[in-house]
Amino acid sequence: MENDEDDFVFFGTPIEREEDTISRKKKSIAEASGQLRTLVPWKQEVRDEEGRRRFHGAFSGGFSAGYFNTVGSKEGWTPQTFTSSRKNRAEIKQQDLSNFLDEDEKAELEGNSLGTSMQFDTFGFTAAEIARKQSEKEQNERPSAIPGPAPDELVVPATDPIGVRLMLKMGWRRGQSIKSSKSTHYDARREARKAFLALGGSEDAKVEGDMETVAELPSDDINQLQKSTPVYVLNPKQDMYGLGYDPFKGAPEFRENKRSHLPGNRESGHKRVIPKKDGLFSFKPRNVAPGFGIGALEELDAEDEDVYASGYDFEAFVEEDEEPSTLAIEDKKKSSSKQQGVLRGFKAASNTDYQLERFDPPVVPKDFVPHHKFPATLEVNQKSTEVPPPEVPPPVDNTLKVLIEGVATLVARCGTLFEELSREKNQSNPLFDFLNGGDGSDYYKRKLWEARQKHGVKTKPLLSEKVAPNAQKMSAETRGNILGEKPLNRTAKDLKPVVPAADSVNLQFHLADTFTEPASFVEPTEIAKPFQHDPAKQERFEQYLKEKYRGGLRTIDAGGSSKMSEAARARERLEFEAAAEAIKQGKWGKESQLSSQPLLGASAGRGLQFTSGGSEINGVSQTEEIVKKSMFPKREEFQWRPASLLCKRFDLIDPYMGKPPPPPRSRSKLDSLIFMPDYIKAATQETNTISKNLSSPQVDEKRRTDVMEAEDKAEVENVEVENVERPVDLYKAIFSDDSDDEEENININQEEDPTKKIEVANTALSRLVAGDFLESLGKELGLEVPPDQPYIPPPTTQKPTKVQDIPQKHEPINSDAHKNTSTQNTKEFNHEIVKKETKFKREKSPSDDEKSRRRSKREYDSTSDSSDGYRDRHGSSRHKGRKKEHRKHSKHRHHESSSRSRHSADKEYRDSKKEKRKRRD
Amino acid sequence: MSGEELPQTEANVLKGHEGAVLTARFNRDGNYCLSGGKDRTIRLWNPHRGIHIKTYKSHAREVRDVHVTPDNSKICSCGGDRQVFYWDVSTGRVIRKFRGHDSEVNAVKFNEYASVVVSAGYDRSLRAWDCRSHSTEPIQIIDTFLDSVMSVCLTKTEIIAGSVDGTVRTFDIRMGRELSDDLGQPVNCISLSNDGNCVLASCLDSTLRLLDRTTGELLQEYKGHTCKSFKMDCCLTNSDAHVVGGSEDGRLFFWDLVDASVVSSFRAHSSVVTSVSYHPKDNCMITASVDGSVRVWKAKAS
Repeated sequence: MENDEDDFVFFGTPIEREEDTISRKKKSIAEASGQLRTLVPWKQEVRDEEGRRRFHGAFSGGFSAGYFNTVGSKEGWTPQTFTSSRKNRAEIKQQDLSNFLDEDEKAELEGNSLGTSMQFDTFGFTAAEIARKQSEKEQNERPSAIPGPAPDELVVPATDPIGVRLMLKMGWRRGQSIKSSKSTHYDARREARKAFLALGGSEDAKVEGDMETVAELPSDDINQLQKSTPVYVLNPKQDMYGLGYDPFKGAPEFRENKRSHLPGNRESGHKRVIPKKDGLFSFKPRNVAPGFGIGALEELDAEDEDVYASGYDFEAFVEEDEEPSTLAIEDKKKSSSKQQGVLRGFKAASNTDYQLERFDPPVVPKDFVPHHKFPATLEVNQKSTEVPPPEVPPPVDNTLKVLIEGVATLVARCGTLFEELSREKNQSNPLFDFLNGGDGSDYYKRKLWEARQKHGVKTKPLLSEKVAPNAQKMSAETRGNILGEKPLNRTAKDLKPVVPAADSVNLQFHLADTFTEPASFVEPTEIAKPFQHDPAKQERFEQYLKEKYRGGLRTIDAGGSSKMSEAARARERLEFEAAAEAIKQGKWGKESQLSSQPLLGASAGRGLQFTSGGSEINGVSQTEEIVKKSMFPKREEFQWRPASLLCKRFDLIDPYMGKPPPPPRSRSKLDSLIFMPDYIKAATQETNTISKNLSSPQVDEKRRTDVMEAEDKAEVENVEVENVERPVDLYKAIFSDDSDDEEENININQEEDPTKKIEVANTALSRLVAGDFLESLGKELGLEVPPDQPYIPPPTTQKPTKVQDIPQKHEPINSDAHKNTSTQNTKEFNHEIVKKETKFKREKSPSDDEKSRRRSKREYDSTSDSSDGYRDRHGSSRHKGRKKEHRKHSKHRHHESSSRSRHSADKEYRDSKKEKRKRRD
Repeated sequence: MSGEELPQTEANVLKGHEGAVLTARFNRDGNYCLSGGKDRTIRLWNPHRGIHIKTYKSHAREVRDVHVTPDNSKICSCGGDRQVFYWDVSTGRVIRKFRGHDSEVNAVKFNEYASVVVSAGYDRSLRAWDCRSHSTEPIQIIDTFLDSVMSVCLTKTEIIAGSVDGTVRTFDIRMGRELSDDLGQPVNCISLSNDGNCVLASCLDSTLRLLDRTTGELLQEYKGHTCKSFKMDCCLTNSDAHVVGGSEDGRLFFWDLVDASVVSSFRAHSSVVTSVSYHPKDNCMITASVDGSVRVWKAKAS
């Protein structure tokens, strides 16, 4: 046997034995019953009785019902085998709706095909459809000579549609054309008229008119028209194709072409043109490059036209471009309709059903003038008729003048509504009296009118007919007058009335718009002096304005500014321009003098900007420079808190070390209100519990009294200290991460205890704690424990880590307390403890001692490189140790305690121990 | 020091930058210099022999400032790509990139121990970056400035920075206070005197101002050059006897420290003098210019 086995060569992996599956099964059962239950729910795996996983992969959340790991069939999902389309093309079958439907859906679909109920089947479509289906079915059942579906015409619905039935009821007979009763009525009348004609023979225009229409109408084919012919009769089958075969199915444009070549259609000259138009090439617009297709939705653009293909035009199209006479169109229509349905041996009807309906254009009333009238007449239109208010000298008060002008401009721009509004608003304001016909109202009227003129002209297109003729009428003299040229004395008086004031203003504005500024707007600038305080500058400004409005090329040497540098001049130029602009807008004065007026709020933006610019420039005066010099440099001092890490990196001591970190900026009063008292309360409670615990009989009597005293003191002090320190610590606890700052915070707190007293107290306390620790250690090691150590600490090796750490906030307080009270006492009992220690120490196993020493050494090594001194760390450890004991008793849980701090606590225990050892030595 | 001893003769021209050179700095002992420019490179030169030693490429935008550690082992640089790069000099690799500035960084400096890089940004902030730890977050962000911070200087205990808001602010780490000296004019560049008692601020009104650091008093104003729109350096000579500054017309100006008279001025470059750096010991200085060259100047005697 063995030899045989040696001879075999195995390939691949052997099939699983049954035992294996059985074992798996067993395992699954075992798991299901036992161990798995202990696992957390999300780690458990659901397996079936075979031990296979039920939930798997991406579907682990799902349930594998039915066939596992499949798509719902026993075989699972098998991909369709690839069939080469080259060999068996026929096998590629087209998918249709039924492929995607379930059985039940299919059944549903079969039952529900939507169609019109027979009852309401007006035109018999549904009936025809049903009939055709029926025939198809029949055809399928018994194969006939002609394959394929039967043409529509041959299949007639079995029942009459409701429409037909109705028509029949109304007296219509089959085969009869449906004609309006009016036409029959008309025919009858015509007959009557004919008779009348034959009878009377008199001729008048009316009859003649009638005759014309009569001529148009066919005379004797009423009967013929009454019959409607079915379509298939009109279009007889003339070709040799099979029934229903349409050779032009794919290319309908050929159909017309074909038809034009039919022998029956070649009769009129027009005929040939029409089909060409609809023919092969004409379905595209002309001039389109033949090679390029255009999508159905695309419009033809200019660029789509083929510029080079103009020679490609067909002659035939050219004649169509000409507008054919209406008669020709009529003719064409008639003939085409005639030719279309004519059977051989029949004559085309001279009258057709088809009548082009015409609509006359709407009658234009005689009094209609083709001008649009605006519902609310613009002031512009009135200007020629309106009598302009007389020119009034501006009021003496410059402020008022500027105000009036501003209001006028605004009113012209915004409409009279604005005027009313401002009137209402400023009823009490004496400055606005002009709105109510008070002081300066005449001037206001004039200004308003002027502004309106200007505004109107601006809005109205320049081709307005009303302005143009007037302008043309003007002579050179009048124009000169308008432009403000000084006329010769002789004509001055005469010409004034000749030109209406409105026109003069109009023209002025026209000219202003084209090249210069109107004189009327130069005037106010002389009054509004933006540079009043600097006469030289003001002069230059005026000069600049003059030049500006003079037009043409500007002289380079702006008067008086030759001394200035190029840059300064450029700046001044800009400034002047801004000033001029502001004045033109009529805002300079307003801004500078009346900025408090509410109505100017809307236009404040630009003016303000400008004034500020002006003041800035003016500020460069000599005196101010001196002031500036004396002002700068100006030194200010702020508090700035460097990051502690920054200090560290700069090798400096953080000046804010120990100080509370800057509070979060968005600290509201509410915060402090809520947090502060709460905190204090908590703290006091805490101390109470501590003291209570300490006073328990378990505690050493001596220590107890001592500590009690300390705690009492602490309690007293607590509240005051808390007020300062607590909130900050709270923030720290909340916001600071425990990782790095923790250590530093310790240091910070450490730094706070400056006096040596504390140190002494703390060492005493820590020693105390350490003694405690040693005692417990000794106990654990099975050593003698003095009878006056009643309480049994938890297993000591883990003690430091198990004990909840104290939040640092308590440290200063407690230490303060100790500093005051416990120094004396602790010193006393220190000796005792030390003695005790030594006793334990001696009995302690050397290996343990060694271990602890090594550990502590490592600790120092690890911390030696950090910048905080050993002393600090040590000091803090004392606090820690001291505090820890309390915590142990009180079992107070503090969430903010971190693993890190626990670790440090651990460290500190060892530190203290070591120190003790030293001391002993 | 008389006018003759000023470095006015061109000793070397360091060519290699393509485009404007924006900064040129001596190292601590003055044997080497670094330059950075619009071609996005930092170049290390021996200015005394006129040799180009190494090129540091990694910046994505122009290099605006560069500084070397006292031990010449590391470089920090900054520029238009909003990052502060911390380089290893010998390998030429970027050790760290400090991201955090919201816009261009105008100036960088190492502190005395090369443990912190302080950068001044257009985003109105100073940021201190830690080179010791692996943290990429700034140690501290000082954002009391009202406008772009243009220049920064560090002493052992202070961070001094000049800003376009017209202030020179001194952040005293030891005292935990901030002193703000408002000059009323945008400050372009600040430079400390070698005795550390004065700070020279170049303002955009074409004036250099010398401030007493303890009192904040304006000691002197130096005028004559043009400085209106460019970030241009200024410095004091190593003896603190003269003030050196470039001009936008390519000239170099030497003022007497005390009486503010122009001791000397000559055309150093064909275009704006962007940077000047004075040798820590010798009468030697380097200037960088928009014309793409770094020039080394020495006194006639030497």
